[in-house]
Amino acid sequence: MTDPATLLQPSGPSRYLGVLARYGIVWVTLALFVLLAATTDGFLTGPNLRNVLDQQATLLIAASVATLTMIAGGFDVSISAVAVAAPLVALRVENATGSVALALIAGCAFGLIVGMANGSIVAFARINSFITTLATSFIVFGIGYVVSERSIMRPSSDSFRSIARTRIAELTTATWISLAVVVVAWITLAGTRFGRHVYATGGNAEAARLAGVRTRLVVVVVFALSGLAAGLAGVVAASRTISATPSDDFSFVFGVIAAIVVGGTSIAGGTGAVWRTLLGAFFIAFMVNGFNLHAIDPIWQRIIQGLVILVAVSTDAWSRARRA
Amino acid sequence: MADLQSGEPAHAERAHVELCGVSKRFGSTQAVDRADIVIRRGCIHGLVGENGAGKSTVGKVIAGVHTVDSGTVVVDGRECRFRSPRQAFSAGITTIAQELALVPDRSVVDNVFLGVESTRWGFVNRGDTRRRFEALIERSGISIDGDASVGHLSVAEQQRVEILRATARRSELIIMDEPSARLSAEERDQLHRLVRSLRYQNITILFISHFLDEVLDLADDITVMRDGRVVKNTEPSSETAGSLVEAMIGRKLEGNFPPKPPAPDPDQRTALSVRGLKPAGLTGPRPVGRTGSPAEALSPEGLDLAVLPGEIVGIAGLVGSGRTEFVRSVYGADRAVAGEVRVLGGDLGRLHPRRAIRSGMGLIPESRKEQGLMMDRSLRENVSLPHLRGVTRAGLVMRRAESDLVVETTASAQVRGGGLDTSVRLLSGGNQQKCLFARWMSPGLRVLIADEPTRGVDIGSKRSIYDLISAAARDGLAVLIVSSELEELVGLCHRVIVMREGRFAAEFSHPHLDEAQILRHAFGEEAATRRTS
Ligand SMILES: Nc1ncnc2c1ncn2[C@@H]1O[C@H](COP(=O)(O)OP(=O)(O)OP(=O)(O)O)[C@@H](O)[C@H]1O
Ligand SMILES: [Mg+2]
Repeated sequence: MTDPATLLQPSGPSRYLGVLARYGIVWVTLALFVLLAATTDGFLTGPNLRNVLDQQATLLIAASVATLTMIAGGFDVSISAVAVAAPLVALRVENATGSVALALIAGCAFGLIVGMANGSIVAFARINSFITTLATSFIVFGIGYVVSERSIMRPSSDSFRSIARTRIAELTTATWISLAVVVVAWITLAGTRFGRHVYATGGNAEAARLAGVRTRLVVVVVFALSGLAAGLAGVVAASRTISATPSDDFSFVFGVIAAIVVGGTSIAGGTGAVWRTLLGAFFIAFMVNGFNLHAIDPIWQRIIQGLVILVAVSTDAWSRARRA
Repeated sequence: MADLQSGEPAHAERAHVELCGVSKRFGSTQAVDRADIVIRRGCIHGLVGENGAGKSTVGKVIAGVHTVDSGTVVVDGRECRFRSPRQAFSAGITTIAQELALVPDRSVVDNVFLGVESTRWGFVNRGDTRRRFEALIERSGISIDGDASVGHLSVAEQQRVEILRATARRSELIIMDEPSARLSAEERDQLHRLVRSLRYQNITILFISHFLDEVLDLADDITVMRDGRVVKNTEPSSETAGSLVEAMIGRKLEGNFPPKPPAPDPDQRTALSVRGLKPAGLTGPRPVGRTGSPAEALSPEGLDLAVLPGEIVGIAGLVGSGRTEFVRSVYGADRAVAGEVRVLGGDLGRLHPRRAIRSGMGLIPESRKEQGLMMDRSLRENVSLPHLRGVTRAGLVMRRAESDLVVETTASAQVRGGGLDTSVRLLSGGNQQKCLFARWMSPGLRVLIADEPTRGVDIGSKRSIYDLISAAARDGLAVLIVSSELEELVGLCHRVIVMREGRFAAEFSHPHLDEAQILRHAFGEEAATRRTS
């Protein structure tokens, strides 16, 4: 055993490292959960955990669907803009008609249309998706200002808040909606033929095309779904706060992308999963929750979050390089 | 553990690289199993074996890509443990992999000296770099334009750039992993001359190849591998292609080709009929990245072709003659300016891969890595992709049914080296190619188009691919094959069409298939007479 040759067995340790890297997010999320449960008062309580679930709802709605976009090889930064403008559109409809259902439909439809536009530009004009959605973001932010006449909007009736804040079995409807979206996205990606086409398109678009996949349609659909989900997330968020404000704040999409990449979905496309995004989101959420319970300075929280994302992305790059 | 079998006379040069009991395991695959190989300095060392025998892995162990599990690698008498290709590189070992690694947008000179440019005050000294390039060209006898952008060169030329790059860094050992797999016969000859000239410069070459004649012709020593083990260390003078094959696959192979399927009945409805097809790639300006432009020679009527069920038709021609463009536009992979394609009489209308597949066509593209496979996805997903409709219920993919399908097709295509969920990147090159065959081995297939179907496939598997093709033809499949290996076309096809400059220049039918004739038409009459005089 002291023979230097045996000390240098790369496939031994690197194999374990490979498994560790592949399921890393499972272990670290579990470890963090156990650590917080053991060390932090007030973490492992029903109200706190329900609160974490409720707070993560909007992010999970957008991120679980955006995972499909990322796997198909696209990058959608317009999620922020849609999540800002869709509730403004929804509230405009609500103010005019008094109908919560119509408001919800309008908000989602708005997101869907923006998403379809994004997808069509990416698929047919063949413009890089990051650039496309960056450009459309500005347009959509602008639409938000126009629709709201540059001011904060509120629902005309109190029932608008019921979208997110009704309680069923102790959990808010926001939580239930997010769980439903996660389940649907998960099944779509992992179980359906469309999901296979998403992986194939991101894995090698030309090969997928030659095998009969309508890759451009796949691209349009994933962007459309991602827009729809962002619209829904925006309406749910507005329902939680009972208001919507026009802005040009990009921060929401950063949280979404962070959850996706920390989960281990590759920004290069072709690999990833919705369960990863779920874990990535909760890893970050537990971390933030732990910081808050320990009253750690928010400035430090940011720095640490940034480092965590870097670690996640470099593990991805590292395991990718090893496979080459 | 020096190799005793080779029994070299006393004048044999020193061993350059020695592998002693080297083993390497990936998961459950023992890729290399206690291999002993001695590579003598200044020799061409041939390495042959079936797909997945471990040849590339041996090359990668020497080049520092993989570290050994056990055993030692001795370079120049000193035991070495390279942890990275860079370390091996500084010890004078370079690999020319099958997928070339160049910077496409830079010039030949830039690529050759990348990282070792002459500098003055930290700036690249163009004049001096240029002089070194000229000297290098002189020394190696390679002719290539230093200012050409690498992305526009043919595979053969890019390979020469890689060889220049290796010599520019004074490499002493060059590992060539299937260097001839993607070359035409002509280019292959040039490569052989080049490899010999490298040897005169006392550079050692590890030459991995599936072309046994080439290895017998070039090599000073030959190592045969099977299932990760070295089964024979030998030399060409005591071997024949037959004896090597026997060592490689552990049994005798009767003939390279299966007997031809019976000639199809000419009165049937044609399986594939192409009329007046004008591939966009053959009519427009010269396609980027290809040399030997087909120019605007396409006849105004376009290309016509009819293939009967059970018929195997080959398309021969030089690289750039338009073979690939033609079959791709039949399949709808590339646009056609005009023309009509019918499968069993049904007009496909606007050509599109999806429509082609629906009507019963399948394409095995020229480059498996760029156009064929999703390298990071599993064998399962790669094989079942075009057939998902058949295994989907209520929108959900039935994994059981899918597995059955994939198990059956991969078994009939003899894909080996992993389970259904291994990512295809981890399969050996030949098995990746067989994956593409597995993809189309479904009962609904009517027309199979294969562009270079046996590229990078070992001789045993080649035979099994030929068997597959000929069995499929017996079952009534129409097959269209593009190949640079004339022997393959002659051995397999009922009919061979020769393409030159975007046209069908000649057509030969069994039993009048003749390699020399085909070649003459591929080059064009004038060129042929010039070459012979
Ligand atoms: N990085 C890897 N991870 C897992 N398995 C691997 C890896 N590299 C090679 N293998 C496996 O090891 C075996 C030997 O592969 P190798 O590439 O050396 O074969 P080869 O002789 O070069 O075959 P070919 O002629 O098809 O190129 C194969 O079964 C292959 O699937
Ligand atoms: Mg190989």
